[in-house]
Parts: sequence; structure tokens; C-alpha cells
Amino acid sequence: MNLPKAEELQSIVSHGRWDRAAAVLARLDPAVAADAFLSLPHHEQEVLFHHLPLDFAARLVPACAPYDAFVLLHTLPADRMKALVEKMNPAERVNFIDELPEEVWRQIVTEIYGDDGAAARALETPPAPTVEPIIEARQIEKRFGRAGGGEVQVIAPTSLRIEPGVIVALLGPSGSGKSTLLRMLSGLAQPSAGQVLWHGQPLDGHKPNVAIVFQSFALFPWLTVLDNVEVPLLARGMERAERRRRAVKNLQAVGLAGFEDAYPKELSGGMKQRVGFARALAVEPEILFMDEPFSALDVLTAETLRGELLELWQEKKISTKSIFLVTHNIEEAVLMADRIIVLAANPARIRADFRVSLHTRNRNSTEFLLYVDYIYKLMTRPLLEAEPPAPAEVGRQSGAARIPYRMLPHARPGSIAGLLELLNDRGGKEDLYRIAEELRMDVDDLLPVVEAAALLSFAKSERGDIELTPAGKSFAEADIAARKTLFREEALAHVRLLQQMHSAVLTKSDGAMPLEFFRDILDEHLSNEEVQREIETALDWGRYSGLFTYDSETDRLKRMEVMRMEVMRMEGDV
Amino acid sequence: MSEKARSAAQASNRAPTVRERSRQWGKIPFAGASTLLTDAPVALAGFVLFYGLVALARYWTAPVNPEAHIDLRPAALPLYAAFSVARIAVAYILSLVFSLSYGYIAARHARAERVMIPILDTLQSIPVLCFLPPVMLSMAALFPKAQFGLEIGSILLIFTGQVWNMAFSVYASFKQIPREMLEAAQLYRLSGWQQFLQLELPYTAISLIWNSMMSVAGGWFALMVCEMFVLGNRDLRLPGLGSYLQTASNAGDTRAIVWGLIAMVSVIVLLDQLIWRPMIAWGEKFKFEQVEAAETPRSPVLDFLRRSKLLSRAGHATFAPLREALTLYFARKELETRPRTEGRDFTEWAWRAAWLVTLAGVLYGAAKMAALLTQVSRDDLREIVWGAGATFLRVELTLVLAALWTIPVGVLVGLNPRLSAIAQPLAQIAASVPAPALFPVVLLLLIRIGGGLGVASIVLLLLGTQWYILFNVIAGASAIPADLKEVCGVFRLPRWERWRTLFLPAIFPFLITGFVTASGGAWNASIIAEYFRFRGQTFSLTGLGAVISRATDAGDFATLLGATIAISTLVVAVNRFLWRRLYRLASTRFTLESA
Repeated sequence: MNLPKAEELQSIVSHGRWDRAAAVLARLDPAVAADAFLSLPHHEQEVLFHHLPLDFAARLVPACAPYDAFVLLHTLPADRMKALVEKMNPAERVNFIDELPEEVWRQIVTEIYGDDGAAARALETPPAPTVEPIIEARQIEKRFGRAGGGEVQVIAPTSLRIEPGVIVALLGPSGSGKSTLLRMLSGLAQPSAGQVLWHGQPLDGHKPNVAIVFQSFALFPWLTVLDNVEVPLLARGMERAERRRRAVKNLQAVGLAGFEDAYPKELSGGMKQRVGFARALAVEPEILFMDEPFSALDVLTAETLRGELLELWQEKKISTKSIFLVTHNIEEAVLMADRIIVLAANPARIRADFRVSLHTRNRNSTEFLLYVDYIYKLMTRPLLEAEPPAPAEVGRQSGAARIPYRMLPHARPGSIAGLLELLNDRGGKEDLYRIAEELRMDVDDLLPVVEAAALLSFAKSERGDIELTPAGKSFAEADIAARKTLFREEALAHVRLLQQMHSAVLTKSDGAMPLEFFRDILDEHLSNEEVQREIETALDWGRYSGLFTYDSETDRLKRMEVMRMEVMRMEGDV
Repeated sequence: MSEKARSAAQASNRAPTVRERSRQWGKIPFAGASTLLTDAPVALAGFVLFYGLVALARYWTAPVNPEAHIDLRPAALPLYAAFSVARIAVAYILSLVFSLSYGYIAARHARAERVMIPILDTLQSIPVLCFLPPVMLSMAALFPKAQFGLEIGSILLIFTGQVWNMAFSVYASFKQIPREMLEAAQLYRLSGWQQFLQLELPYTAISLIWNSMMSVAGGWFALMVCEMFVLGNRDLRLPGLGSYLQTASNAGDTRAIVWGLIAMVSVIVLLDQLIWRPMIAWGEKFKFEQVEAAETPRSPVLDFLRRSKLLSRAGHATFAPLREALTLYFARKELETRPRTEGRDFTEWAWRAAWLVTLAGVLYGAAKMAALLTQVSRDDLREIVWGAGATFLRVELTLVLAALWTIPVGVLVGLNPRLSAIAQPLAQIAASVPAPALFPVVLLLLIRIGGGLGVASIVLLLLGTQWYILFNVIAGASAIPADLKEVCGVFRLPRWERWRTLFLPAIFPFLITGFVTASGGAWNASIIAEYFRFRGQTFSLTGLGAVISRATDAGDFATLLGATIAISTLVVAVNRFLWRRLYRLASTRFTLESA
């Protein structure tokens, strides 16, 4: 603590010379200033804070301990608080927000941005249904039959409404059932239970006027661009002239005039997706569904298309009443949507549903970053609440309630090592979204790696941050052989499947164990693809850390020494 | 700028649309001289085709020809060639219709699929020539009065030889249609007809064209055998290229043999150039790819047809409006239909009825078959068992012989692009001549130099099978990545090491594919290779094929059935237990793709 400065400040303040105190502080380094400032009595802090110039206050706040900063901010009127937060250096602002407990942070956001009337628009409160929804899902769920009998719950009972006039984004990690939900809402797939209402009427049998823009474009390569757009119109029995007029109009709207006679394979990815948009818009759908429409495109093209779509929407050049966007790209969701629904996986259910009230859709604005960071926190926050009981739980038949099997995060040891090294270079702690940005990775790809590092207790992940543990640090600094040892120890300590595999090959007299045995065990808990993925991850980790080897020809796990002996024997033969 | 004005401005600087182009054509009522040049041949070809149909109809309805007389003058060859081609064409159209329906039903109805696909799988492995003797005899008996009966028989056999492969390819491509494409069709509520026309048929087109080519080659094989079919004292020959070659060899007429072979090769080359090459080039349009390929197959004939204004105008006048009207009709009908909920009971009921009928039919057939099989005498049974062994050895020996020369030659050709540019087309022509057409010629030669049917049968089997292996080995060798070859060079691997570590493993999957096809072909050919009537003599060997032919000859249906069952079981067993396993090994361990 910088005592002389603190004493000087206290004496100035005790004489009530606030402006002079502010001037003294402003000359100091923010960290020193914060120390001195916080040594003042509480009520004087507040008064002095109000006298500080905005620029300096914006530098001082991040230097204070989070709680103090929060209290200080709280004393300001909303407009000044907003001005101050916006004055902060973006990096510091994000850090500062990170430090705050979530409720506090949300309170600030509400206070800053809820000024034009609404705590009702606070985060995590779905909009009050004031208008008649176009589509309403009531407790829809999806279960798939498993090969070995029984069912897997993919989507837990879920209710949601899509009202006209909004863009809704559905966010969630890959495999969380986003696409399945979209297909049930659009009438392509039937829910296993529950009901989808289209303007209040049951969907089954009714033919909703919707369109989907697909990730893979789903264009017919043997038809020209024009014929592709005409396909749905022809299906509606429209005469040739009218079809052509509509198709040409929509192609012009998406900027493809002049490409009518081209075949899709002659077009770039972005242009193909424009054809996809034109085809979808041609039927004048009430709801335009989009299933990761930009994820097959490169970054720049995707950005352009997003902008153009938003423009069409905002200027009401398209007759679509609502847009439902499925994506795993957080920034895309914040950029486009008026409302974001975040899904949790296994089985899918709504984790958060909130309005996005941005004044500008600018990637560098405070508000934008606030939302992005908030969603990262949501998605990385471990699910503490108990799994909601599924009504048709399979376990009921076998008598006992089953604890859901926790799958290994599907990440390669190489990626885990890479992440730990990067963290170590960054001083051991970093924001997840910044890592994602640096590595040009989607959350989808990054989260499993983070989870794996956390599972092996090489890192801790909290509130959108990731921090290296001592074990993680020694791993990042170790050489290849030492890394394998470290990985082996942690894997044996934390991963039950690897423990089982390891002890199986150790105890068997021939040192070999059919992999089929483990597949059978996993079959009880997981679907076929999940079993395959789980085994793949376990093999990858086990082989990397030298817990066992795997012989693909006989489909057996083997003890390391056994394999080595076999190799030696074979060499002896030759 | 108003919306209208802007769109007009945009319209002016873009390429003409299809509609605008067709309007341009409309402005030129009389085509110029250049059009006449391209249109005249097209029109002429149309007339010739029509005349051919009339002539064929007259011949087919003519009374039966008791003793097939084959004219050996070269001038008779065009007519014989036309007969052969007509049989192939009729059988092909039948196969096409059948495969599309079969594949469609199997791919779209999960319940039907469970029955239809195993049936297809089994039928595919039964050698088609097993059916030859009984089919020809029964057809001759069914239509004793008209030539029609034998023709139907031959067409039926060609059909059997072609159809399974095509049906399977249709089914497989229907199953491969990407989910999102089907979802788009479902979402936009395409009628069944529109979905078939705009999604399913185009999607299957390329694989259908390639498989059609292969199937028709198989059809030629069966046709040649049909045309020269003589069983015991019954002369069931049909006028055609096959019977011409056989008669020529019978008479030892070298000049006629040469003319016949020339005609055969020209017909096949012409068909290739006039039908298959244009089809393949046209099929490029249906390639399901996201980017344009650098090199695409081209066909001058297709370019010529595309330039023909007569054809395109005829198409605009007939096909386009017809397609439009049909599609609109089905679309409107689809829009009218309410969701089927009440119809489901009926469908369910119909399915059950179909099941019961099928089951009853199968049970009845099985009972009858079992009853017939009890009549097989012990001697016949012994003959079947020995024959099975002998044919098995003969087939495997052929494969080994074929592999012995094709592997080194194929690798050599495949590794050398310049050599393969010369060798490939030659080998393709050689391969396209159906082996049975050569059989009388080979037999004649061997008898002259003193070999018997034993050698001749192996030569025939080789002629029918070696090409499959050769082409696959060439394909495999030319697919070896250059960097792997360079690695061998860098480490100075000795020649044998190179073969062991690179060439043999790299061509292994291709080799297995070749072997699978070749093995099927060899079993098929064994039926005619073991029992042959030549110059009034019957040459026969120990073998299942001989047992089948002899049993048909003697009207011994019990033995015929037993032998057919034996050969089918053997083929299916060899496929399941040998080839399929090797195939799996090849596709997991020896693929060059890095997964």
C-alpha cells in the first residue's frame, strides 16, 4: 500500500477539496490511485468518485477490487454509469465484467441498458407473449430407439413459442439436438410426444408455410439456378410464367441477377447459399428456418451474407414474419438475433432464453461483448442442477433409476497439450472466447478440449475463463516422455473407463482383452454412435499415455509388454 | 430509381435466359444450310430406326424356322447384327423399367427392403446361364408356332443377366441421396412425380449409366450363348452374330470367321461411340459435386446432337410441355390430397395380404422342389458333387492363370501413363468382345492343333474373366500416389521389396474387386464351356455346367434342379466366405485414403 499518497489524499479530502483530490489521483498510476482511493472512508469514496473526470474514472474502476468497483458504479446515475462503462478500455472492461459475480453483473447490465422502461427486458426472461405465436411447441420431446432395445432421450420436454417480428437464434454445442428441434418445429420430423401448434392448430396433417436454408445448401446440381428456385413453386402447381417471374424477382433480391442459367457447381459457396435463400424466400414463408446457414462458408463470405440478410429483414424487403436460426456460433447469434435460446445437451433442453436488446450490432461495442461473454459463461458453467427426470425413463423397466453415464469429452491429447501450452504462454489464465478467437475455433470445437483439460485436472474452467492448475503447468513444461507419464497418472485418477481398460489388460494372463467387452458395457448407457465415439476417445488417450496398446486386426487391447514381445518374436522369425 | 426501372436495367446486362433464347429461335422460321447439315443425318437416323422396327416386327411374327439357316455371306451380316442389337435393346429397356421400380420400392419402403434386398443379393450371384437350357426349352414349348417364343427366351435371359446389377445400383443410389435434399423435397411438398423427376432419377443417373454399360456387356455374353444354342438334336439357334460365328467355325470357313469378328467388334465399338460415350458425357450434368471438375468426358456425337436444332425444337414441342403438364397435374393432385390417415388401415391390410401370398407361394414352391429333388438318383448326386469340385477347381485355376499375367502387365501399364494411353483402348476393345462369340473359333483352332475341350474351356473362362482383373490392376497401379513411389526411390528399395511393400498392397483392393467380378463371370461361363456341340459332336467334361446341360438335354428336371441349386450355393458360399472377407480386409487395411 502506498501510504504517503493515501495520507496526502485523506488530508485533502478531509478539507472537502474534492476537485483537488481528483486532480491528485488523476496524476497517479491507476493501480496506485486505486489503492489510495480505497483507503478513504466509504462515504468519502462516493463523493470523490462523483467528482472524478469520466476518463479517469473509467481507468480507476477496473483497478479496484470487483466488489468495490460494483458499489462505486452503483452510486452513479444510469446514464453516467453507462458512459463510464463505455469509456473503459475494451480488454479491461471484459476483465472487469468477468470478475464480477454473475448476478451483480446482470444487475449492472439491466441498469445500464434497461433504462428505456424495462427491467422486463432483463436477461433470461423470455418475452411476455403479447402477440399470437406463429408456432408454438408444447412439451415436445424426441426419443430414438436403440439397436439393443430401449430408447435414448434426445430432447427433453420443451416448450417454446415463435412470435412474428423477431429473429430467434438457437444456440448449443454440437450434438445438442438443435437440428432435431428445428426439424420438429418445421414439421419435417414428428415429436415423440407433445404437440407443435401452427397458428393454434396441430401441425400433424396441417401444411405450414415454412422454408429451410440448409447448411449444405441442398441445391439440385443438375438444375440451373432459375430452375432450382422454381422447384418449390412448381410443387405448388404454379404456372410457368408466374413461376419464372417470382424466381427472377427473388434472385434479384439476393443479388444473383444474371446467374439464372448457371449451374450450382459453377458458383462459389456464398453464391450457392444465396440461391438457397432465394429458393426459400420464393415460397414467401411465414417462418424462415436456417440450419447453420453460414457455417459451410468462409469467414468473410459468411459476414457479408449475414449483413445482407439482416438488411433485407430490417428494411422489410422479405415477407417472412420471423426467422429461426440454428447456429453454434455465439457471435453470429448475438449479431443477428432479437432473442437467443441456449440449449444444454444430453438430453437437449432450454438452458437460457433471453432477449438481446442491442442498440447497434457492432462487434466491438460494449453491449456486444457483454452478451458474447455472458453466453460463454452460460455454456461453460457446469450443470449443477440435477438432470430433470425424463417421463419415459428407460431405467424404470430395469427397476433402478440410472445415473446418466458421463461421456469423455471428444478431444485429442495433442489438442489438450496445445491448449495447455498456449495457456502457459499467456501466464496461466485466459478468456475462453479470446482463445477461441486466437485459434480461430468455434466454441463447439474448443469446449471438448477445455472439458478434457478440466477432467484431467490440468486446468480449471470457470465463468468463461480457463486457468492452468499446477499439474497443468508442469505438463505444459514437460518433455514428451514426462508428459505421457503425467497424462497417464491423471487419466487413471479421473477416467473410469481407462481404469477399467488398464486393469483388464494387467490382470488377464495373456495381457489381451477384447474391445468388444467394453463396447458391450457402454451399450447399456449410450447409443451406437456414442459408443463408437467414446471408444475412439478412450483408445486415443490410452494409446497416447501408454496405458495399453490396441491391435485393430484382432480388435483387442493389449498390455504394452505383450505387444513388444510379439514384435520381438516376429522379428526373430524373420 | 423505381423498382421496375432497376430490374429492367439489370435485365439488360445479363445473359439471356432459357426463355429468351427460345424466343430467339422462334424468330428464325427456316434454318440455314448449316442446320440442314446437322439435321439431315439426325432425321435419316430416325427413319432408319423406324424401318428397322417394322422389319423386326415382320420377322418376329413369322412362323417358326425349324432348321435355322445361317447365311455365311458377309452381306448378310448387317441384318444379323441388327437382330442381335434389337434383342439387346428390348431386354435393356425391360431391365431399365424393372430396376427403376424395384430399386425405388426397396429404397422407399423399409418393410419391403428387408425382403427385396436379400433376394436381389442372392439372385445376383446365381450364374445366369443356369437358366439358359430350361428357359429356352420352355419358351420353345410355350410358343411352338412362332419365332416369337425363342426370341422371348433369349430376351428373358439377357434380361436376367442385366437386371440385378442395375436394380442394385438404382437401390444403392436412391439410398445415398443426402438427407438434406430429401428434406428439402419433403418441406416444399414435391409430388412423388416431381421428386422422382428432379431428385431421384437425376441422382441415380450416373451410376445407372455406368452399370448399364456393364450390364449390357453381360447381356452380350448371354445373347451369344442363346444364339448358338444347340441342345442335343434340337437346333434352337437364332439368326444373329453369335450363330453366324458358330456356323462359320462349324464350316471351318476362315473368311466368314474374320468377317464375323469384324462385324462383332464394329457393332460394339459403334454402340460405344453412338450410345455409351454420349450417355456418359451427358451424365456429367448429373454429377453430384460442388465444384466443377477440371476434366470432363466429352463426346463428339453428343455435341453433334446438341447442335441439332431439329432435335431441340422437337424436344421443346413434345417433351417440355408434356413434362410441364404432368408435373403440374401431380403437384395439384398432391395439394388436394388431405393427409393420409384413413388410408393407413388399408395399406396395412394390403401389406399383410401381400406377405401371406408371398409366404404361401414360397412354401408351396419349396415343397414342390423338395419333392422333385428326392428323385435325384445316387449316381446323379455323385456326378453333381464331383462336378462341383471339378468346376470349382477349373474356375480357381482360371483366376490364378489370369492373375499371373494380368498383375505384372497391369502394374507395368498402370505405372506408365504413356503406355496405358495406348494399351487401355486396345484392351477395352478386346474385352468388349463377348467371350462365347469366340468360343467356336477357339475350339476350331484347338482342334486343329490338337487340344481338346479341357484346354478350350479354360481358354474360354480366361477370355471372359481376365479383363476384369486387368482393368482393376491398371486402375490400382495408376492410383498409387507419386510420393509413395518416390519414397521407394529415395530408400533405393530393391525391385522385389518395392512389389512387397508398395505395389501389391496398393493394388490389393482393386485386385479383389477384379477377382469378385471375374469369379462370377467364370462360374457363369463354365456352364457353356463344359458342354459344347460342335460339328455334330458333343464335347463334354466333368463339371457342374456339363451336368446342367446334359440334364436339360435328357429332360431330367430333377438333376437339373439339383445341379442349379448346387452351383448357386457354391457361388454364394464362395462370395460370402472368401471374397467378402477379403474385400473387407482390403477396404480397411489396404486403402490408400488416410481417414
